[in-house]
Amino acid sequence: MSLQILFDALSLGGIYAIAALGIALIFGVMKLVNFAHGQFIACSVFALILPSADAVAVLGLGALPAGLLIPAILLFGAGLAVLAEAFVFRPLRNASPVALMVASFALGILLQNLLLVTYGGRPKAISLWPELGQPVRLLSAEIPLLQLFVIGAVGVILAGLALMLKRTRIGLEMRAAAEDFGMARLLGVRANRVISGAFALSGALAAVVALVLVAQTGVADVRMGGQIMLVAFIATVMGGMGSLPGAVAAGLALGAVSALLQAFLPPEARPFRDAFLYGLVILVLLFRPQGLFASASAKPRV
Amino acid sequence: MSKLGVHDLSVRYGKLTALSDVSFTVAEGERLFISGPNGAGKSSLLGAISGAVRAAHGRVEMDGDILSGHSPEGIARRGLSMVPEGRRIFRALSVQENLMVGTGLRRDRAAVADDLATVYAAFPILHDRRHANAGALSGGQQQMLAISRALMTNPKLMLVDEPSLGLAPKVVDEVYDRLVALQAQRGLTLVIVEQSSARAARVGGRMLLMRGGRVVADGDAASFAAHDLLSEAYFGDPA
Repeated sequence: MSLQILFDALSLGGIYAIAALGIALIFGVMKLVNFAHGQFIACSVFALILPSADAVAVLGLGALPAGLLIPAILLFGAGLAVLAEAFVFRPLRNASPVALMVASFALGILLQNLLLVTYGGRPKAISLWPELGQPVRLLSAEIPLLQLFVIGAVGVILAGLALMLKRTRIGLEMRAAAEDFGMARLLGVRANRVISGAFALSGALAAVVALVLVAQTGVADVRMGGQIMLVAFIATVMGGMGSLPGAVAAGLALGAVSALLQAFLPPEARPFRDAFLYGLVILVLLFRPQGLFASASAKPRV
Repeated sequence: MSKLGVHDLSVRYGKLTALSDVSFTVAEGERLFISGPNGAGKSSLLGAISGAVRAAHGRVEMDGDILSGHSPEGIARRGLSMVPEGRRIFRALSVQENLMVGTGLRRDRAAVADDLATVYAAFPILHDRRHANAGALSGGQQQMLAISRALMTNPKLMLVDEPSLGLAPKVVDEVYDRLVALQAQRGLTLVIVEQSSARAARVGGRMLLMRGGRVVADGDAASFAAHDLLSEAYFGDPA
């Protein structure tokens, strides 16, 4: 029982953390809260299937073997985000943060409506990797195989990202740009390269979230991007805008609290689980309005 | 051909004119001080040269290449480096990471390693603290880091904005001694914003005096210190 809760908490929190990282990465380098991130996720979900109005989806990209499907969908997410940057956010590079944020809302609504036009508004059943639904016996608990994969993937992604930021040239440039973009440029750091890189990473992370959501729920729904975006945005704020470790910690914490509430709330209170969860969020922010890990870069600009 | 040529350069912020029709040239290897009261346009001038501030009109040339209109990173890649006002070191990065940020524009890996060794030899404290967060350094150490960071881009021309700001006089002398030694060693051309003409005179070099967005005098720094031109610029025309 308790082991089951631990795995629920880790896999849910892991996905929240990956989604929150996608937002924090972009906020870090260009102080943009990208509200289109949820639609990057939704578009990556729908990229798996062929356009149709049927209730049961026909797999397109999603029919590829996993070894091809995963890189293909990561590339799709990265490509979508890079294109969004080039055509929407780059022309607004010198606009105010508020204008950028509004533009990201507009882009999100545009993408959502594109999905509605091509795929219809009804949720569709998708069967992606059904074999991952098999339970695995682990000590006293039965854990779905998918959860183990998700937790493993989250661990690999977090370690890989940390290594990339710490050890590579583009990682160093991103960290420098996150702290003082103007100064980084005066030292020859190319703004376009760093921003495109951040968007590509963010889009690839959105695709990871999309894959996990589809595998977990078996549904493609135009609205699913908005729901995860809300949680991810809250995790980014709680983590301290732009702090990557903060986003990860807050994402994990939200997932863990959510799993705990689900397990220990009395059954009649369970439908209100999210009210308890967000009540706790309000409490945390009352005591630490700057977030759990306020980043140095977020402060002087606000 | 001069190293740096500034021609009729003007900067406006909305209706406010910060710099109007400034022209001067700097020779290869020269050390030029820019002095003047607050609001004289010194930082706007450096900003417009480095590309951080957009010029309303006029042009900047380095080695005959026109810099105006290029991005700050494009200008840095042509060999101009900046030690900005307030130092602006990356506080969350380690000392060594700070030094490496500006080496992305270089292809000469071996020379980068040599330059790192040179910088560490000139500033041993930076070597001792190379793995520490740069934010943990003292003000003087941060100034030395900002200068070293600019040197690591292998510049031909270096702009230094108020290196003495917020530092104890003894530390300021040390910073200038190192700056002069590094200039001699590497054949750098230096443009330094310095409020105190006495300090500029002690270090030695040419000096431009600015006031109200214009250059009002140009000459040897030592002659300014003795002369009352500077107090005139600060306090207005003598009665």
